[in-house]
Amino acid sequence: MDRVRRFKLLLWSICGLAFAVAFRRFLLGLGSSTNLNDGTPWGLWVGFDVMGGVALAAGGFVITATVYILKKEEFHPIVRPAVLTAFLGYAAVAVGLLADLGLPWHIWHPTIYWQHHSALFEVAWCVMLYLTVLALEFLPVPLESFPRLGKIRNFLVKNRLILVILGIMLSTLHQSSLGTLFLIMPYRLHALWYTPILPLLFFISAISLGLMMVSMESLITSYLYRREPETHLLTKLCKVAAWVLGGYLIVRILDLLVRGEYLAIFENSWQSWWFIIEILISAIIPIVLFTSKLTRGKLGWITLGVVSGVSGFVLNRLNVGGIAMAGTTDSFYFPAWTEFAISAGVVSGAALVFLFAIEHFNVWEHPPRDEEDEKPYTLPRFAPVGTIWLGDPHTAGMKRNSMAFVVAAAFGFSLLPFSSLESKGLIKTPANSARGKDIMQIDANRDGFFVTFDHKKHENSLGQTQSCAVCHHAKLPADEQTSCAACHQDVYLVTCIFDHEKHKTWLGGNQSCTQCHPAGQNRSVDTAVECNHCHNAEDASLVLAVQESPIRMDQLNMAGSYVDAMHGLCVTCHKEIAERIYRPLHGTCTTCHPFVAEESKYEWDKLTQTTASPRWVISTPLLQENIDVEKLKESVAAQ
Amino acid sequence: MKSILTDITKCIGCNECVLACKRTYDLPPELPRRWHKPDGLSARNWTSIVRLPENKFVRKQCRHCQEPACVSACPVGALIKNAEGPVTYDGGKCMGCRYCMMACPYEIPRYDWDSAAPYIRKCILCYERIKEGKQPACTEACPTGATIFGEREELLAEAKRRRQENPKLQLYGDENEIGGTCVLYVSDVDLKAIYNGRDLRGDPALPSTTAPVLASVPLTFVGVGVLMSGLYWTINRREQLKKEGESGEKANG
Repeated sequence: MDRVRRFKLLLWSICGLAFAVAFRRFLLGLGSSTNLNDGTPWGLWVGFDVMGGVALAAGGFVITATVYILKKEEFHPIVRPAVLTAFLGYAAVAVGLLADLGLPWHIWHPTIYWQHHSALFEVAWCVMLYLTVLALEFLPVPLESFPRLGKIRNFLVKNRLILVILGIMLSTLHQSSLGTLFLIMPYRLHALWYTPILPLLFFISAISLGLMMVSMESLITSYLYRREPETHLLTKLCKVAAWVLGGYLIVRILDLLVRGEYLAIFENSWQSWWFIIEILISAIIPIVLFTSKLTRGKLGWITLGVVSGVSGFVLNRLNVGGIAMAGTTDSFYFPAWTEFAISAGVVSGAALVFLFAIEHFNVWEHPPRDEEDEKPYTLPRFAPVGTIWLGDPHTAGMKRNSMAFVVAAAFGFSLLPFSSLESKGLIKTPANSARGKDIMQIDANRDGFFVTFDHKKHENSLGQTQSCAVCHHAKLPADEQTSCAACHQDVYLVTCIFDHEKHKTWLGGNQSCTQCHPAGQNRSVDTAVECNHCHNAEDASLVLAVQESPIRMDQLNMAGSYVDAMHGLCVTCHKEIAERIYRPLHGTCTTCHPFVAEESKYEWDKLTQTTASPRWVISTPLLQENIDVEKLKESVAAQ
Repeated sequence: MKSILTDITKCIGCNECVLACKRTYDLPPELPRRWHKPDGLSARNWTSIVRLPENKFVRKQCRHCQEPACVSACPVGALIKNAEGPVTYDGGKCMGCRYCMMACPYEIPRYDWDSAAPYIRKCILCYERIKEGKQPACTEACPTGATIFGEREELLAEAKRRRQENPKLQLYGDENEIGGTCVLYVSDVDLKAIYNGRDLRGDPALPSTTAPVLASVPLTFVGVGVLMSGLYWTINRREQLKKEGESGEKANG
């Protein structure tokens, strides 16, 4: 039992970590604990917990069908573990879904709001029903320990066949429907994975995966409890799995040939290599290992084949559920550690329940016995040096496990910032020190385009040395510098730059109203003529261009005061120096706004914010350009 | 059916529609977030102006498809295609599975990632205003008439007329494009750029990809049930006969 004990300790630790992460996920929302984004709204939790979980739990329907329908009685010893694995697998899917759904308290909504055009609706119903069926299928096992409830048990056993057939019907539907889910996204999924027969592929692979998963579960528990593995059964299971895998491989390749997409395998992109790896470990390696004369029937090779096949199909589900979409959306996604923690925690929880059931009910013909538990209780005479006496072996185990859980949870909490700032997904503001003056260049929009920032001025106006914390927040996690927008909330709002007084003066005072406001109408912004009534290309003197530059004022969608402030920080000094060093270009717009001159260079992907066009913001390459300030000063002095 | 026609050649990128939308729905100013896509749409910006090279401005918003993928994908019917045209959302039904975001070929719906009770956010074509007989806030605010509101047939005819006048123009959103959309575009630039390089013209409506599979569900369900019962009966019967035969042999022997 030593292996089991150590394994349980590990599982409890993972659960503790997951508990801390789950706490934060439900308190602060999905953005705080995942790397999901608007471009990839489904991630690890859907790909692994749901898609992988359902597929891995396919052993239940495969084995019950083999034993109860096809009457292969020799597999009877593995029915109970297989049904238990399936039940726990589906329960894990449900728990994983609770974490993944944005509004988990609405998880029951598919029961009352019906929408039969949706594949997900069908999956939801099937999973709900099948979870119930699996619970009823397994219930007779724990009920053996309660002789009083014998009637219920007898009823369930009598009607087992109905449950088994119902289970197969439901499994067939939702195993395939998980593939149907992705049929509606032909633009997202890469051609190597998107096929109209995705549901069929999902179903066939679920059967082989079910067989391999049952073998894997048997291998793991045999290892943990130091039992003799049922090699003859495993060999047979793997032989069947090899046949199913062969069928899967043929269908998959035929599909590629029929659709004419087979050339994509050889296109030498990362997708094509990924596809080859997936096919290799999910089908080819297991088939070879399960059928070759050299390797079949040998435990080590069986283990390798099973591990390869199971991880191959998990990879397949992850590919369909997200990885194969990476090239078709413009956002990058890699799961955060917190996502891995929740996924691992859910699996660990299920494994713990599995081990509990094995030890307390007749899942196997005889539950494994813990010799230490059965020793008569004795007080130790001496606590051995270097270890702590935690009580008798039974309670010691509980204490050890709960301690592992608490410590891991505490560790998790210590790693997770709980500020709301972090969960709002605000991006750190990068900052550079600028040449000359006490001005920094900070990327307030976090879009790679920097603006000037007078640190001294902010310091002065916010209260000298007392003011640091206003922006630097006394080093809150993930907050090196507070974004400009935290205080200057109107930075992103467009304001009108129209100066009414000046126009009145230019056009001749009170006499001029009707030039813009048609006579007889209310004088308001709505009724006034548009700017381009006068400012049009016909009269060059009236084109709203900034002096010496092609910038047109009517295209400037930014607050006028903001522009003035930004320019005030540089332009005055620049112009002064430009005259002194006889370099007139040093003071013109294009010195700092190169995109104005080379607009065509600037492509769609450089553009990140529409309200503050980067064209008006100093570009980064300019900042990186290495100019020796001292030399510049010298040259100025010399002149 | 009500509809919006946006003419890219007339848009000057003034953002008035964006602001009108934000005013109407009380959307707070948006800050740059980790989860944003570069197109400017977000849970707080339901429409945005995307700037393309050569001073072309494209207003991005929900296309309100005639046969919306999101509506067919939603497992609880939180998204509905209304008779007036808008695809609207009911947060009270939504369970947050985000299948609509995955299904939308234009990748329009956005999510409240920073909220503990998040909802799907997207343009709803000002459904309430349309019902009152008013036009959407964005088309009302447009100073140049680049984006206009009206009956779909009329706007489609208008778009075709503009295309005839200027053969350079392309029409987006007619029945060839995944069954047609209620938000039409007339453009002299390729709109692929704002939809991840996807050109959906000439493709069938997306619900048709899953519909045949889902239609076969009841038959599969019953079929598997019958098949399994039949298998069980056959195998059981064979075993029984075998046993009877054995016992018969014994009796004879």
